[in-house]
Amino acid sequence: MSEAPHTRPRRARVLLTLARALLPIAVAAAILVVLPPLWFEDSPYTTGLAVEALVFGCYAVGFNLIFGSTNQLFLCVGALAGVGGYATAILSDKASLPLAVGVAIGTVSAAIVGGVLSWIAVRRSLNVIFTGIVTLVFSLAFTNFIIGQRDLTGADTGYVLQGAATDLADDRIGGYYLFVALLVGLLIVFRVLQLSHVGWAFKALRDDEVAAELAGVDVARYRIYAAVVGSAMIGLTGGLFAYSLGFISPVTYGFAQVDVQVLIIVAFGGLGTLLGPVVGAAAFGFLDRALTDSGQLREAYYGAFVIAIFLFLRRGVIPFVLGLFDRLAALRRRSQRMEGATPGRAER
Amino acid sequence: MLLEVRGLGAGYLGEKVVSDIDFEVSPGEAVAIVGSNGAGKSTLLRAIAGLLKPMDGRVRLEGRDLTRRPAHRVAKAGIAYVPAERHLFPAMTVKTNLALGAYPRRPDRSALELVFGLFPRLEERQRQRAGTLSGGEQQMLAVGRALMSRPKVLMLDEPTTGLAPKLARAAFTALEGLKATGLTLLIAEQQVPLALSVADRGYVLENGRIRLQGSPEELTANPEVRRAYLGVV
Amino acid sequence: MKAVILDGIVLGLGFGLLGVGLTLVYGLGGVLNLAYGEIAIFGAIVVSQAMDRGAPTLVAAAIGMLAAAGLSVLLDLTLMRPVYRQTGEERTLLGLLLTLGVAFVIVGLLNWKYPTGALYIFVGGDPISIAGVPMAAGSVWASVIALGVAGVLLLFFGLTTFGRGVRSVIQDETGARLVGISPSLVRTVIFALSGGLAGLVAVTRSMSAPLTVTAGFDLTTFALIVAVVGGLGSVAGAFLAGVLLGIVDNVSAHYIGEYITAIVLLAAAAGTILIRPRGLLGR
Repeated sequence: MSEAPHTRPRRARVLLTLARALLPIAVAAAILVVLPPLWFEDSPYTTGLAVEALVFGCYAVGFNLIFGSTNQLFLCVGALAGVGGYATAILSDKASLPLAVGVAIGTVSAAIVGGVLSWIAVRRSLNVIFTGIVTLVFSLAFTNFIIGQRDLTGADTGYVLQGAATDLADDRIGGYYLFVALLVGLLIVFRVLQLSHVGWAFKALRDDEVAAELAGVDVARYRIYAAVVGSAMIGLTGGLFAYSLGFISPVTYGFAQVDVQVLIIVAFGGLGTLLGPVVGAAAFGFLDRALTDSGQLREAYYGAFVIAIFLFLRRGVIPFVLGLFDRLAALRRRSQRMEGATPGRAER
Repeated sequence: MLLEVRGLGAGYLGEKVVSDIDFEVSPGEAVAIVGSNGAGKSTLLRAIAGLLKPMDGRVRLEGRDLTRRPAHRVAKAGIAYVPAERHLFPAMTVKTNLALGAYPRRPDRSALELVFGLFPRLEERQRQRAGTLSGGEQQMLAVGRALMSRPKVLMLDEPTTGLAPKLARAAFTALEGLKATGLTLLIAEQQVPLALSVADRGYVLENGRIRLQGSPEELTANPEVRRAYLGVV
Repeated sequence: MKAVILDGIVLGLGFGLLGVGLTLVYGLGGVLNLAYGEIAIFGAIVVSQAMDRGAPTLVAAAIGMLAAAGLSVLLDLTLMRPVYRQTGEERTLLGLLLTLGVAFVIVGLLNWKYPTGALYIFVGGDPISIAGVPMAAGSVWASVIALGVAGVLLLFFGLTTFGRGVRSVIQDETGARLVGISPSLVRTVIFALSGGLAGLVAVTRSMSAPLTVTAGFDLTTFALIVAVVGGLGSVAGAFLAGVLLGIVDNVSAHYIGEYITAIVLLAAAAGTILIRPRGLLGR
């Protein structure tokens, strides 16, 4: 086009902005797509670990939306994923519904549960700690409920999904690409929200709730909105994970197994950032692989790693890296100012 | 010279709010630091009290260097600070609040009697929770608590905050009473006439620096002071 | 029914003891010590090792409690320093994450060194009759200890100068500084106390049933619930909440069933938090 930029048609401008906004996601997606042939050596074990990392990345995107954007400490990621997972499993097998329907119902159920929890927290003006504790209690209650409903869920012994397709299983490459697609999709949703008026409202309410309220932001509504969308993301992931694993048990969605990891992943990558969950999940995926042979000391190394990270990278990797860039830019600007003489500067 | 401040500079997050503060207080003196909002009075007092780490300068009490000491050490050394926010213990009774003023010692009878003598209201309400007291009563309690440690210097930040004019005058009458017992006072106040009514000397703080100093008569006669703080043209 | 309730009270006193250590540390500094359960287990392992080497029970218990207290102090003096430098929510979140890391380190090391480690203090003797209800000797002793400790703690915090100092830090940290109290010293002492209490909890729990290396997480979660329901920062609140939850737990377990009981308990806890977020006896 030979027109000057400001005369380009509006649609082209919008598309350009959108493209620029989605660039980081595209880069991440490209890396993920290319990874298996380079790295996995066709090992089902490595593929399985990678799928797990991706799943946690997806959970983390949802959690990032809920906690990172609106400060609601939802310590029930596992339970929400479990709602999705068990709904998918039970509906597809016992009610013989097609898988897609099962997953959809699971997602919607998780979204509803998350929305209700958020509504309760909002109504009772629960602060961060109390929201965390109430959702933790919900997590534990959910696990106990699953175990208690023996006939329906198979309790401790777990549940095998008859309808699981083997080529999307978690140790096959099909499963890997399924979750790459899911992760990219969730990231796009996150990004679009971030750039819309919703994202603006989130930023305002995270900064100063009272000021946001006074500025006309319905804090309550945006909180619940974030919780519903985030929970849907988590439920969807949980449902698809059930399908790809082929076998679930309370341990798959337990607090200690899921929530702890997700919290650490998001905090590590950078709370509220777009790619933080991806960076975090990748880091812990690698860590998992590195610690495979450490046997009993795994947990100890893991804990030491967590301590080290939060002592030194308090706000997470991405803010830290961005901060480095900022400082580099400031240094460069300062040196430019010092060496370049402005024309007309008087000599002493 | 009881309290000596030399070249003190202090502020928040790298920004200096007060600089080059030089003054001293002799035993038994009452010194007033006056200035409008934002002049730096609170910052100055907090830096002396140890709630804020000074960036430059020195604070000495009876020759002992207290600069950069944490607040609890400064309090133990003998400087009792009553901040504008008071920081009482809301769920504890008046009596317990006062008792804690004597920490780590047990409260002594004569100190308690002094405080109750000065503030009979507190004696009436001694079993009441501090959080339920009125503004004026809380101020009395804050001062009373500070007195329980038998301090060498009593520092007050805007003691008239939130007090109706009548109560504010009563507060300064009480301070005169304290001064009469020989207590050394350092008072930061926006209300210049009240502050100067009790002080032996005053310093005018403006934009973080000491602009003027002198006796109450000198300051009251100063045309700038009259225009800026006394509303006299 | 009387037996069930009494049993619940016995259980509940143990819960209360569990919650006290956690509630104090939170009340003082806004830090939720998620490594609490693991510190208790550490204490238990020390006791068990001491007993294996021939130490008499009481001595071993004392050693275990001291070890747990020592570990707590170490934690406070090292990792908690950067946490206390933060304020408000940043402090809470960092405290949460760091203590979580510590929990992993402790349980990882214990699991590695003592994978089958467990503590069981057998208190022999015939069942003791309380108000006409026969109860296992171990449980009775455990509650006596818990009651005793509760009394001592309440007296300490209510009447002594230092105890008052601790309460003052909980209510207004700056105010405490102004009267000459060092919040960091108070925190270190209370961390030590909470560690010792954790060790004591491990000992008393092991008097009713063996306490294994993997029990740490459940202990922490339970301590958290008791502390929150009782009111964060309140010693009396933790005991009251513990006893109430203990009764609910036992009545429900007796008349309904194990997994439903867990849910009932959790629901009771959540309900209390929702109806009265500051807890039963919180400010």
